[in-house]
Amino acid sequence: MDKNIPQEIERFDLSVRIQHIIMFTTFLLLSFTGWGLKYAYVQPSSAWITIWGGAKVAGIIHRVAGIIMLMDFVYHQFYLLNLARKKDLRLTIVPMPKDVIDAFHNFMYFFGFRKERPYFGKFNYMQKFDYWAVYWGMFIIGSSGLFLAFPVTASMLFPAFTTQWIWDILFIMHSDEALLAIVFILIFHFYNEHLRSEVFPMNWMWLTGKMTIEQLKHHHPAEYDYLYGKDKKK
Amino acid sequence: MLLLFTFLLVPGAGAATDSATCFGCHGSMEGDVKVEQEKYSKSVHGSFDCVTCHMAPKGDQHQGLGGAAPDKSVKELAASLAHKSTKDPIAQSACITCHPDLYEAYKKSVHGQNVITKKSTDGPVCTNCHGSPHYIQARPSAESKVHLFNVVESCGKCHEEKHMSEKYGFSPLVMERYLESFHGRKLKLGHAGAPSCASCHGSHDIKSAKDPSSPVGNLENKKKTCSECHSGATEKFVAAITHKPLHPIAHWSEIGLILLTVGTFIFIIIHVLLDIYADIRDRLFRKGGNH
Repeated sequence: MDKNIPQEIERFDLSVRIQHIIMFTTFLLLSFTGWGLKYAYVQPSSAWITIWGGAKVAGIIHRVAGIIMLMDFVYHQFYLLNLARKKDLRLTIVPMPKDVIDAFHNFMYFFGFRKERPYFGKFNYMQKFDYWAVYWGMFIIGSSGLFLAFPVTASMLFPAFTTQWIWDILFIMHSDEALLAIVFILIFHFYNEHLRSEVFPMNWMWLTGKMTIEQLKHHHPAEYDYLYGKDKKK
Repeated sequence: MLLLFTFLLVPGAGAATDSATCFGCHGSMEGDVKVEQEKYSKSVHGSFDCVTCHMAPKGDQHQGLGGAAPDKSVKELAASLAHKSTKDPIAQSACITCHPDLYEAYKKSVHGQNVITKKSTDGPVCTNCHGSPHYIQARPSAESKVHLFNVVESCGKCHEEKHMSEKYGFSPLVMERYLESFHGRKLKLGHAGAPSCASCHGSHDIKSAKDPSSPVGNLENKKKTCSECHSGATEKFVAAITHKPLHPIAHWSEIGLILLTVGTFIFIIIHVLLDIYADIRDRLFRKGGNH
């Protein structure tokens, strides 16, 4: 192996790792407390909410966790701006037409029509999906949550013609999309980062931030070539 | 001797009958004439003699039994309740002896008007909401039918009935929409600050929501009522709660979001299953291959 190529590479710096920890901690708190309210009429929701200190305390936990999560999200935007300022921001997470081709190739590979996984970049389309799902969640669940938490203030922002349906929509947005987020994380994210035979019981990158060069070459060949490839030396 | 016996068993007119006499029969009878003495004694009125309310029990079997003569207002109410309370309208009306203020409020309420003035069998008398008078508990007790956590169910006995909503013109979804609201859910989970029906609509003095004097009957009253919890409630804010069916815009938005959610589920589940399949296939048949 080339001496210039390190053994492992940092994919997530400390700030991103902390952002992720705050994100999933608040996500779990929000899910646990919100679930009890969403399924209030399904037993044992009352008992479950009692574990969280009763309806009132669970409500406070939910609001505080929600605000911390939104702050984490806002902080992430500043983090990105700072990277851009330092000219360190590569748009590797932005969905590209190539992702559609990659997804098609990946399905070809699933069905055995291709021998190899697609030529993935730094982030494959599943990871991009994971990342942008958070934006969707923040936009839909975060905004509706804020409006529902401060309904009197929110009511001043909405035009009068919306009052007949806006609250129902906010409620449905918050509740249904939260379920989508929970199931998405439970199935997609958990499979990819916890249950996949390669990473079980978990992908330790959330703590170390590091990936070995072998893994990079294997899972993100386009990124490997970008960094260490023959044609595109950094 | 016989005379003495009769004298002991059947006290003379004017002398109030002892509860023990009543429980002698009613403690062990079957059906709705049975009164469980122990449970009765634990009720908030457990120290009362039966004849405090059953001042003049009907029928030959009760001859010579009874309490003080009912006063004029009780008699009047009993006469107006006769269509609804067939067993013992006097006892049904006796509550007002000790609770005259609540009776005054009830008499003017939409419930009281319907029962007393319009002589309808719809609409509750005291015991319809508060439960059996023999086992009545004070409202702070979790066993009370009008306790914060029980009152919604008590209202629902009539207010989720379709024929009631048709007859009296309230939303047929009034219960359903309340129960699925944040207010209803929080109350279900035991949030003591969550509003029940009575918190906004009132109780003994309840008015139809179409009546301008109802706490939710006009815009100003609504603002005032909502402000008790949501300070600064405005005209736009109070429009949030109607108990009416979902507006079409909300309905179609919900369907759109459900389709999106289900679509995403299907996609990720297929994706994960295919991934698992490919993983197993490669491990079994393509050793040293791609993984």
